[in-house]
Amino acid sequence: MRDKSIKKVVILGSGPIVIGQACEFDYSGTQACKALMAEGLEVILINSNPATIMTDPDNATRVYIEPLKVPFVEKVLEKEKPDAIIPTLGGQTALNLALDLEEKQILKKLGIRLLGADSQVIKAAEDRDLFRKILDSIGAKYPTSEMITTFKDGMEYSEVLGFPIILRPNYTLGGGGGGIAYSQEEYKVMLAHALHESPTSEVLVEESILGWKEFELEVMRDKDGTFVVICSIENLDPCGVHTGDSITVAPQQTLTDRQYQEMRIEAKKIIECVGVETGGANVQFAVHPETGERIVIEMNPRVSRSSALASKATGFPIAKIAALLAVGYTLDEIKNDITGETPSCFEPALDYVVTKIPRFAFEKFPGTKDELSTQMKSVGEVMSMGRTFKESLQKAILSLEKNDQGIFDIKLLEEKLSFPNSERIYHLFQAFREGMSVEDVFFKTQITPWFLEQIEQIVLFEKVLTDAKSLNPDLLLSAKRYGFSDARIAMLLNKPTNAVSEDRAKHNLHPCYFKVDTCAGEFASNTPYFYSSYWSEATPFVMNEKRVVVLGSGPNRIGQGIEFDYSCVRGVRQYKALGHEVVMINSNPETVSTDYDTADILFFEPLHPEHVTEVLRVTQPKGVVVQLGGQTPIMLAPEIVKKGFNILGSSVEVMDKAEDRGLFIKICESLDFLIPKSAIVPCVEDALKASTEIGYPIMCRPSYVLGGSRMEIAENQQELENYFSKHADYISENAPCLMDQFLERAIEVDVDLIRGEDWSVIGGVIEHIEAAGVHSGDSMGVLPPQRLKSETLNKIEVLAKQLGDKLKVIGFLNLQLAIKNDEIYMIEANPRSSRSVPFIAKAGGVPIVDLGIQAIAGLKAVDVNPESYRWKDINCVCVKGVVFPFKKFKKADSILGPEMKSTGESMGRGEDYSEALLKALYSSNFNLPTEGEVFFSLRDKDKKELLPVAQELSKMGYSLSATGGTADFLYNNGLDVVKVKKVTEGRPHCVDRIRSGKVNFVVNTTSGRESIEASLGIRRSCVDYSVPCITESDAAIQVIVALKKQRIGEISVSAL
Amino acid sequence: MNGYIVLETGECFPGKWQGGEPAAGEVVFNTSHSGYEEIATDPSYFSQIMVFTSAMQGNYGADSAVWESDSIHLQGVVCLEMQKSIRDRSWLDKLEEFSVPVISEVDTRKLVLHLRDHGTVWGAMVQADSEEKAMVLANALIETKKNKDADWVYQVSTKEAFEVEGEKPLGPKVAILDFGSKQNIIRELKTRCSKIKVFNSRTSAEEIRAWSPDGIMLTNGPGDPSEVKVTVSTVSELLGQKFIFGICMGHQILCRALGGSTYRLKFGHRGSNHPVKDEILNKIYMTSQNHGYAVKHDSLPSAVKVSHTNLNDNTVSGISCPSKNCLSVQFHPESHPGPRESDVIFDYFIEQLS
Repeated sequence: MRDKSIKKVVILGSGPIVIGQACEFDYSGTQACKALMAEGLEVILINSNPATIMTDPDNATRVYIEPLKVPFVEKVLEKEKPDAIIPTLGGQTALNLALDLEEKQILKKLGIRLLGADSQVIKAAEDRDLFRKILDSIGAKYPTSEMITTFKDGMEYSEVLGFPIILRPNYTLGGGGGGIAYSQEEYKVMLAHALHESPTSEVLVEESILGWKEFELEVMRDKDGTFVVICSIENLDPCGVHTGDSITVAPQQTLTDRQYQEMRIEAKKIIECVGVETGGANVQFAVHPETGERIVIEMNPRVSRSSALASKATGFPIAKIAALLAVGYTLDEIKNDITGETPSCFEPALDYVVTKIPRFAFEKFPGTKDELSTQMKSVGEVMSMGRTFKESLQKAILSLEKNDQGIFDIKLLEEKLSFPNSERIYHLFQAFREGMSVEDVFFKTQITPWFLEQIEQIVLFEKVLTDAKSLNPDLLLSAKRYGFSDARIAMLLNKPTNAVSEDRAKHNLHPCYFKVDTCAGEFASNTPYFYSSYWSEATPFVMNEKRVVVLGSGPNRIGQGIEFDYSCVRGVRQYKALGHEVVMINSNPETVSTDYDTADILFFEPLHPEHVTEVLRVTQPKGVVVQLGGQTPIMLAPEIVKKGFNILGSSVEVMDKAEDRGLFIKICESLDFLIPKSAIVPCVEDALKASTEIGYPIMCRPSYVLGGSRMEIAENQQELENYFSKHADYISENAPCLMDQFLERAIEVDVDLIRGEDWSVIGGVIEHIEAAGVHSGDSMGVLPPQRLKSETLNKIEVLAKQLGDKLKVIGFLNLQLAIKNDEIYMIEANPRSSRSVPFIAKAGGVPIVDLGIQAIAGLKAVDVNPESYRWKDINCVCVKGVVFPFKKFKKADSILGPEMKSTGESMGRGEDYSEALLKALYSSNFNLPTEGEVFFSLRDKDKKELLPVAQELSKMGYSLSATGGTADFLYNNGLDVVKVKKVTEGRPHCVDRIRSGKVNFVVNTTSGRESIEASLGIRRSCVDYSVPCITESDAAIQVIVALKKQRIGEISVSAL
Repeated sequence: MNGYIVLETGECFPGKWQGGEPAAGEVVFNTSHSGYEEIATDPSYFSQIMVFTSAMQGNYGADSAVWESDSIHLQGVVCLEMQKSIRDRSWLDKLEEFSVPVISEVDTRKLVLHLRDHGTVWGAMVQADSEEKAMVLANALIETKKNKDADWVYQVSTKEAFEVEGEKPLGPKVAILDFGSKQNIIRELKTRCSKIKVFNSRTSAEEIRAWSPDGIMLTNGPGDPSEVKVTVSTVSELLGQKFIFGICMGHQILCRALGGSTYRLKFGHRGSNHPVKDEILNKIYMTSQNHGYAVKHDSLPSAVKVSHTNLNDNTVSGISCPSKNCLSVQFHPESHPGPRESDVIFDYFIEQLS
C-alpha cells in the first residue's frame, strides 16, 4: 500500500535536451506527475527545460523552472519542505543531482528521503569498479577491464589488453568522451580526451567485445521483490555501436528460451544486488554469437531512453508504475491500465515486432565523419510496429522521413556496409540487391544472420515485384505484408505511386489496425492504441462527428524536437476540453504525445502520406490539425487535401502564401515590413549585378560553408570583387555564393501569435541576446525584450496582427523579425506552432496553444475574450539558454550561423534580467566562475559602457585579458590586463587561450562586420569548453550584477 | 493447395501449408516469446494444435538438446511466419521429420481472439483447394480424433517403470508418478536426489510403496484430470504418508485425491508470463503455465489451503495440506520454457523429505 507518510514529493527533470538524454524524460516525468497527482499527493516538479510538457503549470502542484544545480534546488527544497525526492525519472542528470544533494548533507538536513534509488544504488550502478564487484558476487561476467586514472597507467594497460580497446569515461552521458581505439596512435588521443571528459578523471579501459550480439532488458521491481521484465530488446547492430545509435528490435528474436531465461534471472540478481528497491531499471548484455557466452555491459537504476521505447512497444507505462512503486505500492496492487482487469505484476506478451531506428543529424555538422561508435550521436528515433519483423522494419524506415519510398536504391559503398554509420541499413539492402549472400554480409558486418535473412527476403521480394508483369491482388497483398510502401512498389513496377494506391483501393486492400494490448490477445483490452498491419482484414471504426486528428512531429531532429510535442500534447488536451474526440498519429516513442492516454485514440504510424491517409480513411475525422507538429505535418497537408480530407485552421492556400517568397514579400511590403535583400550567385558578374539591388554592406558566404572561414562582409564594390577573386575556388555554378543584406547591429526577435476569425492574441516576443545572423534556435533570448523601445515593440505587435489578418491565418503564426534603427525587417513567417511557443507560454503565461486550438476550432472573440491575455503583464524576466552537441562531433568545424545546431534549450526565470540570465547559463551547463580570468574583446562604442564591468570584476578578484584595443583601453583606465592576439594577428591568439582552458568567462561584443569569423571561433571554443560567452554589452552588465548577487546568496526561486 | 485450420464450430482460417500430415486436436494458444521446441516436445500438449501468438517462429533453428521429451507431442503448429533459420537444423525441417503439420501466414491474432472469446474447441489442420473441401476433411478428422480414449495421461505415461541415478548420493529417493513428465522435472530432481524411479500413471500404491521412496512427485501431463483412470485412487491411498508434490496435472490429480474437483477453463493458461502469489514463500513470481483445467477453489476440503493464486484471474495455482503432507502447484517450476524464479519449490520439496 501507499506509504502514507509521503505527502509531498519532488520530481527532478532532466534539463535541456542533449544527445543521450532527450525528451524520453519528458515522457517519464509527465507520466509520473500525472500518476502521483491522481493519488492526491502534492507534486513539486523541478526542471530547467521549458520545452517540456512536464513543466506545464497544471502538470504538477507546483512547477519550478530552475537550474538543476544544488544551490537552486536546495532553495526549492527549503521552501517546499517535501517528504521525498524521486530521482529516477530525470535521467542521469537527476541521479547525479540527487547524489550531490546527498553528499552536501542537504537531504539529511531537511529530512528528505530519496525514493526509488538511494545514493548507494546510484553509486553501485555508476561506479564501474563497485559494479564489477557486484557482478563477481553473483557470478556474472563482464569484459576484462581496468579503471584508469592516469595517462601513463592507461598506456601500460593497453599492452595487456591488445587492440581494439574500448574507452568508457566514468559518469558521462550517452558514452560521452568514449570510443573504440584500433591502434596505439588512436588510443593515445582518445585516452587523453576520455580522462578529460570524465568528471572524476576515471576511464574504464576495456577489452573489445565488438561483434557480439547486444541485448537489453527493461525490468521493474517493487519493494516486496517482485520482478518483471517489461521488454526484451535485441540490437540489430552488434556490440560496438552505442545502443542509442543501434537499430533495435523488441521482443528479442534470436535467443533460445534457455539463453533468454538465463539472462532474465541474471538481470534479476543484478537488480537485487545493486539494491534497486523499487522502480524501473535496465540491464544491457552482450552474447557471443557462437559460444553463447554472456557478459553484462551495464545497468541503469532508473527509467531510461529504452524505458520509453519499452513502454510504447508494450503498452506498459513504466514511468507511471515506477512513480507508484516509489511511493509504496506493489506491482500486484496496481491494475494494468490496458486490460483494466489484470494486475501490473506480469510480463507483457507481444504478438508483433517493434523496430526502433535512430535518426541522425550528420548533415548539420559538415566535417564530422558519419561513423557510429560507443558514443551516442543520434538526435532522435522512430519506432514502428508490424506483425513481422519485415513489416515492422520497413515501416520504421518509412517513419524516418528520409525517403518517400522507405527503402530505396542506393550506390553500394563497401565502407558504408562494413563500418557502422547512419546509412548502413540502406547499404544492407543494396548489398543483397547486388547479389551478396548472407554469409558475405555477415562477414563484413557481424550482424546476426537472422536479421540479414529478413533483409534478404525483402530484397528477393523486390525482385518478384520487378519481374511481375502485372500486379494481381495476391501479389500486392504480399508486398504490403512485407511492409513495402506504395511508392516503393510503384518504383519497382515503374508506375506512378497513385496507380498502386488506386489498385489497392480497387481490390479493397487496406491495413487493419491491431490493438497494442500487452498480452497478445489473451485478455480483452479497451485501450485504443493501434498500429497498422496488412496481416488481417481492415478494421471498422465507430464514427464520431466530433473527431479530429492531430498529426505529431515524428522523430526528433535538430530544429524539430520536443517543442513541437509540447504543442501537440497541449493541443490534444485543449481539443478534448472543447468536447472533441482526438486522434493522434505519431512515430516517435520518446514523446508524451504517444502515451496511450494523451489522445483518445493513438495510432503509432509513420507520418507518411500513405499511412496518414489510411488512418484518415478509417477514422473519418471532421478535420486534421497540421499546425502543431512543426514542418512534418505541414508537408503532409497538400496530400491530405488531395485525398479529400479537411485541414482545420489556416488553409493550404494560407500556408502557400507564406511559403511563396514572391507573394509573401508583396504582402509584407504592403504592411510596412522591410525585407532583407538577398541573392544566390554563381560568379562575380552576377554578384555585382545583385549588389545594386541588395545594397552594401553585404554578407557573402559560399553555399557550402565549412567553419564560416569564408564568410565575409563586403562594404563596397571593391571588397566584393576581392571576395570573389579570393574565394574563386569555392564558388561555382554547383556551389553558388549566398549574398545577404547585412543588418549590422540589428536585434532579432521571435513573435508568436494566434489569430481567430475575429480576434488575435500576441503570445509574446522574445528578443535575441546574440547578434543577428545566428539562427533563432541557437540564439539566447529574453522575454520581455530588454533593448527594444516600447513604441517599436508595439509596432511589432500591430504589424504582426496585421500580417495575420492579411494572410487570413486561423491558428498559429510565428514570425522572425530583425529590428534595426527601429525599422522592422521580416526574416521568416511560419503559419504554424513554433519552437518558441512553449518558452513563450511559460515565460509570458499566455496559454498560447490552447488559444491556437480555440482559433482552429472556430471560437469567436466573444468566447475567447482575447483582451484578457496580456503577455506583458508578467512580473519576472525569462531568458532562454541553448545547448549544443558539438562535443559529440569532435571534428565538426562548424560555427553558429544560419543553420540551427543546438539540440535543446533551457529557461532561466528570475526577478530581473540579471538573475534570469545567470540561471539560463547555469541551466545550459555553463559554469559561472567565482574566480579566474575574464576575457574581453569589445567594439569601440561598448568600451566605455563596459569599463565599470571590468573594474567591478577586477575588484571581485578576477583577472582580465583582452585583445589589442580593448586591452589598451582597460590598461589606460588603470586596470591590470593581459594583452592577447586577435585570431587574425597570428598565434597564440585568443581562441587558443580559451581552448587552453585559461579563460573562465568571455565578453565579446565585436561580432560586427570586422570579424565574424573570429567571433564565431570564440563562441565555438566557449561552447566546447563550457565557458560562458556574452556577446551584447547589456547582457554582460547583467551577468556581473548576477555574479555579485550569487556571491551574497541573493538568488531567489519561484514556482510558475 | 492452401492450408486451413478449421474449428469444429465451423470457423475456418486459411494459411500457407508448410508440410506435415493433416491432423486434428484441441486448438489452444500460447503467448511465450521463445521456447517453441520446449513447447512442442512437452507431453502436456499431447493432442493439441498450438497457435503461437509470437509472430516469428523458428528464428533460432532446432536443437534437440533442449527437448522436453523424445518426440513432438503437438498435433500441429499454427503461426504467422515460420523462419528457416538454421542452428542444428531448421525448426520446420524438424517438424516435418515428425510429420507435424505446419500452417503459417494465418491471421493468428483473429484466431486467438476467437479462442479467447469462445473457448477452446477441437479443430483440424488440412490441405485443400477450397474452404468447403477443407471443412469436410477437417470434420472427419475431428470426429475420429475426439472419440479416442480420453485418458491422455495414460497414453503419454512411461509404459515401463525405470530408475534414474541421482547426482546427490546423500539426497532422498523420489518416486515419480509419470503423467507425461517434462524432462526438466527429472533433471531438477536428479540434481537434488540420490535415486529417482519413474512409474506408469496406473501403477498401484503398493508397488510404489514397495520401492520405499522418501517422497513422491506427481508430474505434469495432458488432458482432462477427470478422465485419468486409477491414478486418483492410488494417490488417495498414498496420502498422508510420504510427502507428495504435484505439478500441473499432478496438482489436479492430488486435489481430486484430496476431495476437490476440477473444471475446464474457458481457454486455459498457456504462456511464460503468469503472475503467481505464493503464500508459503511470501513472494510473487512469474511462472510458466500450461493447463486447460483448474482446481475449483470451493471444492477443496477445509484442511487444504490454497497457497498459490494466479493473479490474472485469481484461480487456484497451488495448494498445501500439511495434515496430509502434500503440496502442489498448477504452474511449472521446472520452466523450460519460461521464467526460472519458482525453481526454489523443488528445494522446498526436498526439504520436506528430510
